[in-house]
Amino acid sequence: MSIRREDVLHVARLAALDVAEEDLPRLVEQMGRIVEFVAQLEEVPAGDSAPPFVAGPAQVTLRADEIVPSGLVRPPVAFAPEFTKGFFSVPKLGAMEGAE
Amino acid sequence: MSGVGMIAEAVSSGLTTAASVAREVGGRLTGAMPLNATLHWSQALLDRQAAALDALSPAERVTRPLAGVPIALKDNMVTTDEPTTCASKILEGYVSPYDATVVSRLRAAGAILASKTNLDEFAMGSSTEHSAYGRVHHPLDAARVPGGSSGGSAALVAAGVVPAALGSETGGSVRQPASFCGIVGVKPTYGRVSRYGLVAFGSSLDQISVFGRKVDDAARVLAAISGHDAHDSTSAPLPPLALEPARHELTSFTFGMPREYFPADLHGGVRAALDRTAHALQQLGATIKEVSLPHARFAVPTYYIVAPAEAAANLARFDGVRYGPRHVGPEGDVQALYRATRGHGFGPEVRRRILIGTYVLSSGYYDAYYRKAQQTRALLAEDFRKVFVEQQVDFLLTPTTPTPAFKAGEKMEDPVAMYLADIFTCSINLAGLPALSLPVGRGEGLPIGAQLVGPMFSEARMLAVASAIEAVVDAVGEVR
Repeated sequence: MSIRREDVLHVARLAALDVAEEDLPRLVEQMGRIVEFVAQLEEVPAGDSAPPFVAGPAQVTLRADEIVPSGLVRPPVAFAPEFTKGFFSVPKLGAMEGAE
Repeated sequence: MSGVGMIAEAVSSGLTTAASVAREVGGRLTGAMPLNATLHWSQALLDRQAAALDALSPAERVTRPLAGVPIALKDNMVTTDEPTTCASKILEGYVSPYDATVVSRLRAAGAILASKTNLDEFAMGSSTEHSAYGRVHHPLDAARVPGGSSGGSAALVAAGVVPAALGSETGGSVRQPASFCGIVGVKPTYGRVSRYGLVAFGSSLDQISVFGRKVDDAARVLAAISGHDAHDSTSAPLPPLALEPARHELTSFTFGMPREYFPADLHGGVRAALDRTAHALQQLGATIKEVSLPHARFAVPTYYIVAPAEAAANLARFDGVRYGPRHVGPEGDVQALYRATRGHGFGPEVRRRILIGTYVLSSGYYDAYYRKAQQTRALLAEDFRKVFVEQQVDFLLTPTTPTPAFKAGEKMEDPVAMYLADIFTCSINLAGLPALSLPVGRGEGLPIGAQLVGPMFSEARMLAVASAIEAVVDAVGEVR
């Protein structure tokens, strides 16, 4: 399966990632090689009903859903690009997909 | 330089002071600057930590198992008193509002946090060339790489700057650089060490791991950082690791050598070093047998679906809203802010992996790639289970890497060639097992590592076995 320029642009849009025009040819070529490499898994003898892997030791169980103090030593204003009146500030939401 | 146990004993007993240790390690860090292994450290911070330790009463100091021991920390574990950048421009200048659990435990054990170390950006790489702050040099040959992604921690330990350091593993990022640099690298069972405060890359694979100059150094540090942590829901409900005494004979042990890990084109020096290690095991009384892990060849392609998929999700949080520098795109809206911040902030390898991860999770490709990879992962884990349970093998013995350290630049243009550097390590992360790399000789002057792999939570026994091997195998002698 080959990767096309449109595929890279599509996933870059999904990933919210600007890709420079001059980087595109190299990305198309490298992603193509990676996808061709991982496509070896087609040979794995696992049908549709084969069970997937479940990560983590068997002893792990979900913890109780309780609110506990965060213990932060500095407030968000110290590390956020913009934090005002208790909120992380961002520009307008003007160009939402499908928005007028 | 002394080992972890000796330094802790000297500081606890008052034979030396933490202040003296801090001055010495500061001098060594200055001397090691050409390696480019450190991202943040200061003599003032070293001195401050040491002064706090020296102010304790002798009775309090002896309760600290790592009293005065300088330990370096890969810069993807958060600390409140130094920046955490993950070697990425997207986190430039970020200082965390909390300490990682391993950091709190090291502080409580009396350790001196010596330095935050250089890494492949967001731990994605096998050479530490993918750092936004320049590559790390191999301590024995500056033209070569120290391995990665925890190359900065490995280089500092190998150069004798610190006796131990923390790294993190997702596909071999501690064992591979340990092998390249001729030191010990221990990757614990998934769940043995809390991941709270480790910047996430592949959450089902990530595990904080330990480097030591010797097995004992790594073992003592692992014991101090392990154990259940309520902050990490995948942390196993177990007490801290209880170490076993070193063994002097291995008569009751069976070691399996998987034939898939000894291909015909394996580097000659690596093969010779492993043969010599197997012979040493037999001399210690162990039984060696050939075994098979039939799905081994699918490990790297499986890894390079699962890890980028998880990375694409985990790294979505870096968007210029909560941390790091912000870039505003020409459209001036929030979507442009995300795209521009991430486009500017992430380096080429991280961008590539986010795109691959997004691709394999996208509509129409999920079943063919991600689902198939999770099914293959189950087969890989079952291969290991059969060997340990049905064939009653105690530990596997394999090479850690197919070759010794390669030259800088050699694999930068070919991501698949770089990925294959993890061919003997990533299946262990996929199965969640513990493993370690131990130096077992040199080929043309370059270190070679042997890997031990064990069943889940077998670290104490594995470390005792590794000590027995360490005592009889010449780690720095040339193999023929």
